[in-house]
Amino acid sequence: MAGTLRREPVTAAVAGVLLYLALGVAGLLGAGRGTGLLAILGGWASLLLWAPGFPLGTLGGPPWGVALAGDTLAVGFWALAPLVHAAAWWHERHRSTTFHGLVTLLVGTCLATVLSRDLFNLFILLDLGSLLGAILIAYDLRSRPVWAGLRYLLLSALGMLVYLLGLGLVYGELGTLSLVQIAELAPGLAPPALGVGASLLVVGTAVKAGVFLIGFWLPEAYRLAPVGVVTLLAGLAGKMGIVALARLSEALPVGPAVAALGVITGFGGLVYALWERDLMRFLAYHILSQYGYMLVGFGLGGPAFAGAVYYTIAHCLFKGLLFYAGGSGIEAVGVREIPHLAGRLPRAAGWGLALGTWSIAGLPPLAGFVAKEFLGGLVPSPYAWALTLLGVGTAASFSKILPLLHPARGHGAWGGVLFLGMGVVGFSAWGLASLPGVLSPATWGKALAAVVAGYGLFLLVRRVRVPLPKVELDHISLAVLVAAGLLAVAHLLVG
Amino acid sequence: MRALAAVALALLLGLLGLGVSGIFPRPGVPGGEEVAEAWGAKNVVATIVLGVRLWDTLFEILVYAMTIAGVKLGLRRLRWEEPLPPVAETPLLRRSADLLLGPAAVFALYVASSGHLGPGGGFPAGAILGTALLLLALAKGVERLSAELREPTLEWAEYGSIVVILALAGALLLLGRRGTAYFIAANLLIAVEVAIGAWVVLHRFALSRGEV
Amino acid sequence: MEGLAGAALAIALVGLGLWTLIVRRNLIWKLLGLNVGASGAVLFLVSLAHRPGARPPIAGLGPGPSADPLPHALVLTAIVIDFATLALALVYVIFLTESRRTQDVRRLEREEGEWPERLGGSR
Repeated sequence: MAGTLRREPVTAAVAGVLLYLALGVAGLLGAGRGTGLLAILGGWASLLLWAPGFPLGTLGGPPWGVALAGDTLAVGFWALAPLVHAAAWWHERHRSTTFHGLVTLLVGTCLATVLSRDLFNLFILLDLGSLLGAILIAYDLRSRPVWAGLRYLLLSALGMLVYLLGLGLVYGELGTLSLVQIAELAPGLAPPALGVGASLLVVGTAVKAGVFLIGFWLPEAYRLAPVGVVTLLAGLAGKMGIVALARLSEALPVGPAVAALGVITGFGGLVYALWERDLMRFLAYHILSQYGYMLVGFGLGGPAFAGAVYYTIAHCLFKGLLFYAGGSGIEAVGVREIPHLAGRLPRAAGWGLALGTWSIAGLPPLAGFVAKEFLGGLVPSPYAWALTLLGVGTAASFSKILPLLHPARGHGAWGGVLFLGMGVVGFSAWGLASLPGVLSPATWGKALAAVVAGYGLFLLVRRVRVPLPKVELDHISLAVLVAAGLLAVAHLLVG
Repeated sequence: MRALAAVALALLLGLLGLGVSGIFPRPGVPGGEEVAEAWGAKNVVATIVLGVRLWDTLFEILVYAMTIAGVKLGLRRLRWEEPLPPVAETPLLRRSADLLLGPAAVFALYVASSGHLGPGGGFPAGAILGTALLLLALAKGVERLSAELREPTLEWAEYGSIVVILALAGALLLLGRRGTAYFIAANLLIAVEVAIGAWVVLHRFALSRGEV
Repeated sequence: MEGLAGAALAIALVGLGLWTLIVRRNLIWKLLGLNVGASGAVLFLVSLAHRPGARPPIAGLGPGPSADPLPHALVLTAIVIDFATLALALVYVIFLTESRRTQDVRRLEREEGEWPERLGGSR
């Protein structure tokens, strides 16, 4: 088995991950910030060696080996990761080599996560990712970010406890951890162990991903993290929970649950974003609402899966850009509230926010528009309506930051805006070229109508003020238990 | 809130019980002995940890290493300017700790190097060695011992052993090297990493112990 | 039946841990609860390995059924991860205790506005 492994593309992917990790450890040892750049180059080089992807390969051999596969989602993330890493690296280039070592390790962990097809491997990788995430969020050791990091750590530990129980139940019933074998063995959720176990797996992963309410650590953590870190989280590392949910809904019949979770998180995040004044928190609430698109696509599966893959990659690019531009602008100006930032942002931040905003609002012909049309055409009717409504809401709440798009003074931090902006533009062009369906005037008209409707909704909404309840740690932990219980009951009743 | 928590927890535990009730008694498993012997070991668990599922173990080692890095980073701003109150010290404790350190180290070495044959392995061995160091620290005083064990050297040894493990893993996964020598080497490296890590974490906690 | 008994004990531990995690307001208590719950999950995995009359999964210990080796290997990793999370969380609790002078979750959640840094001084 080892002899045949040598000729397979899985070898190149494994070597790429190992190189990334080794360079990260070298960075921790004080080998310098250049290790990050070497890792970026190594990651892309490794991707070139296995670019078309590879079918399932079992690392270590049967019967207990770890299943790995390189599908479109994995290839997309491998192409994306070094780009986001480069933006983060550039912005934090004055920080210590320890910081860059941790960032490199986090990116390496993400590269391994998207390949994994094994329940326990996903568990370790998600845990390593959230440990590194918490360390990096609290890196500056100011009280508020430390508290945000600790909340993240506590909630992700709770999520992983729930996940581990689910893993035990599924393993006890089926006797395997490989998601591919689970997909073959588990046609339904009829046995109680499987129904309960699958629900616990989904809820645990959702906590880690940060979906609405049960993963509400996300807004504070993203608001307070250093700019490079939040770019990395929004553009790459924060999506690992979503990737794990996609893998789960591929293997176990939990698709409807994941899609329902998507609708809830889409509208929940949107409601909180509509009235938010703090720029970074506003962007973070919008991550929750954008998770809606991805989870609906991944949950429904079939053709919609491809649409969700496209949407996820596009989202990583423009959301990373938004966070990078917003964060670097806040660093330059020194205030966080949207009304106070108007007309004071440096040029790079203004342009970055503009490109990201147009893209996320679905303005043709940018990546967000292409992704929304592509995904919207692949999901059945009730979900398609929900997604359209979500698009209108997104446009409405992003209308609020239109005054920020008139930049005032100075150049600002260009590097990351340039990297991620090129990514957004390139991805838009590639999408338009490969999906000719979205070029028709009808789709353009529909997208423009949604944006205009969103602006109208914004004019209505800004007059009212809705006091939204503040979500505390205890509420979230309780919500995790309630969600797990309800989902399990639902699965038992259906199965 | 409490009532809701009680109801939710009862529901969840009931569901867990329902799920568990269906999976016992567990069916027999096909013997893993052949797999273990193909890898050059006897302990099937060690074969899984260091061989078949090495891909998991790599990240587990990194989780451990990241904790140590995180503990160091998190406590870097907490420093006493006044000298710490000394830990109570008795001749009896110091003497017995000095005497016990040698056997503990030998035992850790034994546990690490025989991990592929029977119960043992790098993680328990590292825990034994780390606990022995902590015992010594209790007896001699944390400050004195941490001056004797030079931290940069320890750091190099720790991260160095991780890099060697990564390289070994690369060789194993890509070139297909396996055998008894590999198990002994990997267990010893993990033991070094775990012991140093345990020492660093515990001694950092002891250094920032605050007003006792 | 030992497997089922182990699993029942594990579920009880999980319940105890989760109850502490949700009801207690002090961060140290919450971490204790989390760790007890995680020990429950570990015990649950161990009890899955049980086979009636089985021997340890080591070659050359004679005939008869062998216990399932995979959960044992998983448990090793899960324990390390619990240790890692606990150590890192404790570091942050120490930091918050020093800088905010509180371990009460509700106070940490409800204090609005700027948080002045109180580190320094005696440290």
